[in-house]
Amino acid sequence: MVIFSLFVSVVFAVLTRDEPMEQIKFGARLFGGFVGAGILMGWLLYPLPL
Amino acid sequence: MRATPADRTQTTSTIYLICALAWFLPGAGHVWLGRRQKGIVFLIAITLMFAFGLWLQGRLFPFEISQPLVALMAVADIGVGLPYFVARTAGIGAGEVVAITYEYGNTFIIAAGLLNMLVVLDAFDIAKGRK
Repeated sequence: MVIFSLFVSVVFAVLTRDEPMEQIKFGARLFGGFVGAGILMGWLLYPLPL
Repeated sequence: MRATPADRTQTTSTIYLICALAWFLPGAGHVWLGRRQKGIVFLIAITLMFAFGLWLQGRLFPFEISQPLVALMAVADIGVGLPYFVARTAGIGAGEVVAITYEYGNTFIIAAGLLNMLVVLDAFDIAKGRK
């Protein structure tokens, strides 16, 4: 999930921002959002039966 | 990023050529349009993502109209361009359904193809002079 988030964040950041600093900031935010949302979803689904 | 001479609006035939090239080799359209750094990042990220998917035992889906979801996944797979044909030619991408990483591999391969389609659309916009 972390590796997937990294690749997607890199491509989206470079795609949507032109300045390198903006790309890094947006990419980092996106990456954190992906990983955070993944962990949150994991815990929300944890009590549910398989 | 500063505007380069390649940012000028292209002719229609050139635009389609750029889109075809951008699809065939991830990032090549951006390199053509003078956005070399972006192009190189796309080439590395998308190709690595696709290779990672294959390494995780993902499958290159066949184009079967009788199974619409499989056909859609095949379209997404082909979206990555040259790496897809290289993998097909080399006989990689048969997929190991019983492997624990099978679905993860599929996700990586499909997402790589879809991301490359977005990159093609971005190259189209740049060539049109919209960005």
